[in-house]
Amino acid sequence: MSAALPILVIQLLQVLTVAVAAPGLTGVIARMEARLQGRAGPRLLQPYYDLAKLFRKEALAPEGAGWFFLAAPVVAVAAYLTVPLLIPVLTTYGLPLGYMGDILGGGFMLSLASFLVAAAALESGGPYAQLGSSRAKTFSAITEPVVLFVVFTVALLTGTDLPYALAATVRSSAGQIVRPAHLLASAALFMVILAETGRIPVETHTGTNEFGMIDEARPFEHSGPYFALLKWGSELKQLILYTILANVFLAPWGLASTQQATSVLLAIVALLAKATAIGAVVAVIDSSFAKLRLFKITEFVAGAFLLAVLGVFTLYLGGG
Amino acid sequence: MDPVHAPGVYQGAANVIATLMLVLEFGMLRQALIRDQIRLYAAQSALISVLAIVIAADRGLPDLYALAALSAALKVVAVPLVVRRLLGRTGHDEAPGVAGSYTFGVANTVLGSIGLAALGYFCFGALGIHSPVAPAAALAIAGAMVLVAFGLMIVRRDVASQAVGFFSLENAISLAALVVAAGLPLILETAFLFDLLVAVVVFAMLMRAHHARTESLSTADLTRLRG
Repeated sequence: MSAALPILVIQLLQVLTVAVAAPGLTGVIARMEARLQGRAGPRLLQPYYDLAKLFRKEALAPEGAGWFFLAAPVVAVAAYLTVPLLIPVLTTYGLPLGYMGDILGGGFMLSLASFLVAAAALESGGPYAQLGSSRAKTFSAITEPVVLFVVFTVALLTGTDLPYALAATVRSSAGQIVRPAHLLASAALFMVILAETGRIPVETHTGTNEFGMIDEARPFEHSGPYFALLKWGSELKQLILYTILANVFLAPWGLASTQQATSVLLAIVALLAKATAIGAVVAVIDSSFAKLRLFKITEFVAGAFLLAVLGVFTLYLGGG
Repeated sequence: MDPVHAPGVYQGAANVIATLMLVLEFGMLRQALIRDQIRLYAAQSALISVLAIVIAADRGLPDLYALAALSAALKVVAVPLVVRRLLGRTGHDEAPGVAGSYTFGVANTVLGSIGLAALGYFCFGALGIHSPVAPAAALAIAGAMVLVAFGLMIVRRDVASQAVGFFSLENAISLAALVVAAGLPLILETAFLFDLLVAVVVFAMLMRAHHARTESLSTADLTRLRG
């Protein structure tokens, strides 16, 4: 029997796991993608080296950019780090701060961060940064309804909109897993995650072609520690979204149901394994599809919207 | 209805297969090229055979195995082959007049069809038909599929897509038949399948006659009256 961890420590561990593992996940995906394409690929720890280098560098701001330009990356990272408090990262039971907000609360934090980054990009006055933020906002306006319908599905399935409740419902029986509504909502969420994390078929993640850039173009004018925060922020967002997909929708198993140190440790390992598995799928998609042209992205999101809406129909009108 | 209650694994699996068929129907709706539409039609037909096998295995209806095999041979292999052959005779890589035969844009078409699907779900769900063999939700999905297939035939202005729309309409009706009358005598089910063969022949004649007259499969040329 191992020692029981205080609840506050577990809560802190949820945030720490996400904060520390996020750049590593990006490294793992980059490596897998490179291997699939027959390249050697970067070191697994490359994102950490990148961040360490950027944190040591001098920060410059464009002329005319005010305090908001510098404050936005800090607040954005703070917002991203709040979300792991609200979702089941390590435990099946809600932690004290876990009921601060529901799925919508988590969604608000994610969109607040994305809004701040976009607003800071506007403040920079640089054309590419502005183009990126304008595109990011345009496309998030059409992914938002999809997320909303996914939340409706969750609400119809569980009667609440707490992420912990859905994870418990999925765990409760095999019948809940093969429900069309659950599978459709998960598929729609996965498509939204591809769009939100700037992956193929929406955006090339490591491209240098400015014309196709959406999320990647926004931090163009930031430098030094602020750029590092923005990079880290997008890595955090990626791991948070993967955690929601894995621990709430697809595979809410392997979470700690007690406060024992060993089970919490196992939950950390399980989370990393699940995130890597999703990352592997994303890497395969990245290497096997072409990037969509910019005006075709709406059709991709329309596909996700269709799945989410059919999920709600099946549940609400069909009784499935 | 208790929101947390799940209908069970068998019902869930049947519903998932039915839902996948509906999603493929939407895929056919927005697919521009006829060969992709035929591929989706073959996949949809394969799914209905899978559903028949699932129902046969779970409810102990051995007739349905025969039906599944017959339907797969006909709809997964024969019909796509015949349609592809016919289109191959037009002498083009991709049949002329099919790509871009939308009356409205892709996004509008999909949104409109979502409305149609909702209507289908609502109407068939409201009937309250409960069948001992298959879940009622699958019937609602079949209703949605019928309407979306109708929508496909209406918004595409070429003979080939309309034919594929009609064949997938038959798939939707087979799905509805499986739900409400899975225990129907095999001979009747087979007779319905042969109805499809008649439809294939008729559409084949139509496609060939139309192509011979206008060098295209598009029906847009038919709006002008000719003496």
